[in-house]
Amino acid sequence: MRLLPLFIIELVAFLLIILETYVFFIFVVPLGPIPHSITDYTALALLKMFLILVLGALWFVVLDGLTSFYVRTRVRTAPRRPS
Amino acid sequence: MAAGPAEAGLLILAFAAPFLLLIALFPSYLRALTRLGRVADDAHKSPPTKVPMPAGPLLFAGLAVGELAVAIGFRTFVPVAVAAGAGVAFVVGLVDDLYVLGGKTKPALLLLAGIAFVSVSFLQPTLYRADIFFPFLGDTAPHFIIYTVLAVVAFPVVANAFNMMDAFNGEISWFTLLTSLALLVGVTLRVLFQSGSSPSRVASSLPLVAVAAAFLAYNRYPSKAFDGDSGSLMFGAAFAGLAVVGGVEIAAMIAIVPAILNSFYTLSSVKGFVERRKMTSRPTYIGDDGLLHASMDRDAPNTLVRLVLLTSPMSERELVANIVALTAVACVFSVVISLMTWVI
Repeated sequence: MRLLPLFIIELVAFLLIILETYVFFIFVVPLGPIPHSITDYTALALLKMFLILVLGALWFVVLDGLTSFYVRTRVRTAPRRPS
Repeated sequence: MAAGPAEAGLLILAFAAPFLLLIALFPSYLRALTRLGRVADDAHKSPPTKVPMPAGPLLFAGLAVGELAVAIGFRTFVPVAVAAGAGVAFVVGLVDDLYVLGGKTKPALLLLAGIAFVSVSFLQPTLYRADIFFPFLGDTAPHFIIYTVLAVVAFPVVANAFNMMDAFNGEISWFTLLTSLALLVGVTLRVLFQSGSSPSRVASSLPLVAVAAAFLAYNRYPSKAFDGDSGSLMFGAAFAGLAVVGGVEIAAMIAIVPAILNSFYTLSSVKGFVERRKMTSRPTYIGDDGLLHASMDRDAPNTLVRLVLLTSPMSERELVANIVALTAVACVFSVVISLMTWVI
């Protein structure tokens, strides 16, 4: 049972991987009409890169938040030990 | 999959050949390493003991023999691609074992493993499909360029993730065995329930299971052999290649979630690629009680091991059992996803 918080973090990571991979391949990759000029092409590529960064940042923020919360609670309750 | 006697024989051979080869050769190989002075400190023992390293060359030889048997038996380039990717990662790892590569050089060189892998698609255009299957939702449209780029990038990412799971006795061998079994289940279900999938993909997955199982006998606590980076990077690259040729990318990613989290923790807490031997603050330490403790240093990197040790100090054997438990749960998730994707 002491591993339960880590199992929960694992579960959240697993759900986010499925969800974000789905969003990436279903929505981000085929996004927009076929570009006909270099300007449109660049704008679409930048938009897709931005969306990919948003997906990456979401994974990072959620997992980092969960882990930081876990570490803070454990360190606060742990007996003092040398570092 | 209608496996006839010949195919069933090849499936048995794909497992038995590397497994028996490694079991037969390991004792003399380890004696040779010891004679040559190729030993490393088992740092988590007090006092440190010496363990022969690297076992990577023998592990790669076992994998290559298994994949070669599958390539000849099924007349396919699928196992050649897996062996090519794993082979490049093995060479990078061996150079790292002998000379120590930089924290950024290693991932950069590992891109070559991905390039070697996808290059085989010139010989066999059906090497991988550029679509991804999701549970209940079916497959995406094929996106060949994006998929190929992601497949190449997957090699350094996954190989490094496996490499970071190689810190304690039995950790990497248990991790590789469990995740390769989950991968094998996924590939088998796909081949069984989707028409047009060849059993050669299942056969290609078997040598990695065999090599990990044989290595476990020597790597489990107390270790008689360490794989070195040549072994762990090779394991990761083989896993990445098998996930791509097997078309079970999602299930594969889920099986290695503990390794992905471990890499993520390390990268996010040390803010970039840093060779682990050059980290200034250690995530764990051995206490006077002989147990492993999580460092309470605020600058200590947040590895998966540290997070487990934050629950309580424990022996190396208990720690590895906990990591195996986390891996086993991820592999159960992975099998459930495979069932939901291919069967339900």
